Amino acid sequence: MNAVVIRETFRRHVTHAGYISVLVLIAILGIVSAQSIRPATFWPGLVTLLAVVTGCGIIGPEFSSGTLQLILVKPVNRSSYLLSRVTGVLLVIWLAALTGCAAETLARLFNKSLVLESMGIGLVNVMAETLLIVSLLTLLGSITRAYFNVAIFYGLQIALAVGAAVLRMSREVPAFVLEALAAIDRNLFPDVPPLPNPGLLLLLLSNAAVALLLACLAFNQREVPYGAD
Amino acid sequence: MTVQVQSLRKSFRAHEVLKGIDLTVAPGEVVGLIGPNGAGKTTLMSCLLGFLHPDDGEITIDGRANDDLDVRRRTGFVPERMNFGRRVTGQEFLRYMAGLAGVPRTEVASRSAAMLERLGLGGAEHKRLSQYSRGMLQRIGMAQALIHGPDYVFLDEPTSGLDPNGVLLVRDLIAEQKARGAAVLLNSHQLAEIEKVCDRVVFLQRGVIAHAETLRHVDKIVVAITLLPGSFDPVTLAKISGVVPKENVVVVAVDAEGDIARIVRALVESGAGVIDVRRHTADLESIFRGAA
Repeated sequence: MNAVVIRETFRRHVTHAGYISVLVLIAILGIVSAQSIRPATFWPGLVTLLAVVTGCGIIGPEFSSGTLQLILVKPVNRSSYLLSRVTGVLLVIWLAALTGCAAETLARLFNKSLVLESMGIGLVNVMAETLLIVSLLTLLGSITRAYFNVAIFYGLQIALAVGAAVLRMSREVPAFVLEALAAIDRNLFPDVPPLPNPGLLLLLLSNAAVALLLACLAFNQREVPYGAD
Repeated sequence: MTVQVQSLRKSFRAHEVLKGIDLTVAPGEVVGLIGPNGAGKTTLMSCLLGFLHPDDGEITIDGRANDDLDVRRRTGFVPERMNFGRRVTGQEFLRYMAGLAGVPRTEVASRSAAMLERLGLGGAEHKRLSQYSRGMLQRIGMAQALIHGPDYVFLDEPTSGLDPNGVLLVRDLIAEQKARGAAVLLNSHQLAEIEKVCDRVVFLQRGVIAHAETLRHVDKIVVAITLLPGSFDPVTLAKISGVVPKENVVVVAVDAEGDIARIVRALVESGAGVIDVRRHTADLESIFRGAA
């Protein structure tokens, strides 16, 4: 890990007007969530969207813009750079998650409807879910250019849903194919309700770890030609 | 501290771009890399910097692999076009680059400020890179490459987009790197610039080194002696100067100015008519035309 890269990634995001606006919006949604019976209802959605927006900026766009060439001649190991960028982005996302959670907690304290345990579970689940999203986008960014990673991310999600639905209509498709598609969907794009589920948490963490490992392997082998696009 | 390339080959699918390149850049030497578009200059530079993986051959810098982190700590690179997050200011960018290059945290601010001042960007440190002109981006590109005092400097068209003052500044900076003992590889289309700053020029053509020319010996004086056509015997001339004449011009490298007088005297005594004696500079334009 490289502290300079983590610091710079964090600094660049938190000083961005767009990020500050999203942070304010998340805080507002946190307050609105306090009106709901179920904790962590509204703000987690925006946090996961923030994870997609910030996560898709890792490696892929840097590859296309030529920024990577300036970095790669510096004494920073490629894997270390990649993981540091991921860490910086995660800190930014988790700060947003904490803001949403803190806003909802304060509002619930005011409403006298605070369920501290549920709030904590909601926060941990969102953090784990965003870790998986960022890891997947990093993996896709390490093998594609520009913002193709986000296109593949959403394309794959849609293709899995539509593909499974279409195949289900046909009686000739073996059951194991449908099960395999469902398993891929569950592993890559799991539904994460704000409920205690250690199994799901473990699935998110292990899949994120595998995605990051593959991303490091791909990035280490990748050629970074001049004027890539 | 030598940059060494041996039998380097690189292909993109069926197209072989580099076909066995051998190149050495010694400490304190500035080597120019020139050639027509598509000759493989950028591919060679990319292989040297570890952006591309060669198919065959070896690249060593100070006896180590080019992706060795210690080698990278001592490497500086100026890309042809500076692309970085345009939202960051010049100061933020330079501090980030200095931090990545391993400049001690306590020195980052002072070195960045000094470098910005040196590159004539003193008043523009708080401007965003999006507000920088092409020339300013080129200057800050130079600053990030040199801020850590690298031993190996790779420059890709460092003067493109620069005004005459900027060109002079880059020339001075290259001379400073050479004086420090850094090995400098300069990729440029500006033949006049190459002629002024390089000790040696390598002409790359269709993936091979078509021609190499020494412009300036590091510790020697190179002179061109023009003789009256038909007034000399090439064999005698070769014995005196140690060099076979090319048409009626003899190019010799000597250790001291006194040696020039000694050779000229010997030539005159052999009956050769000496028309002109001057410090030698290669005519890169005609060599380029000949090679291209």
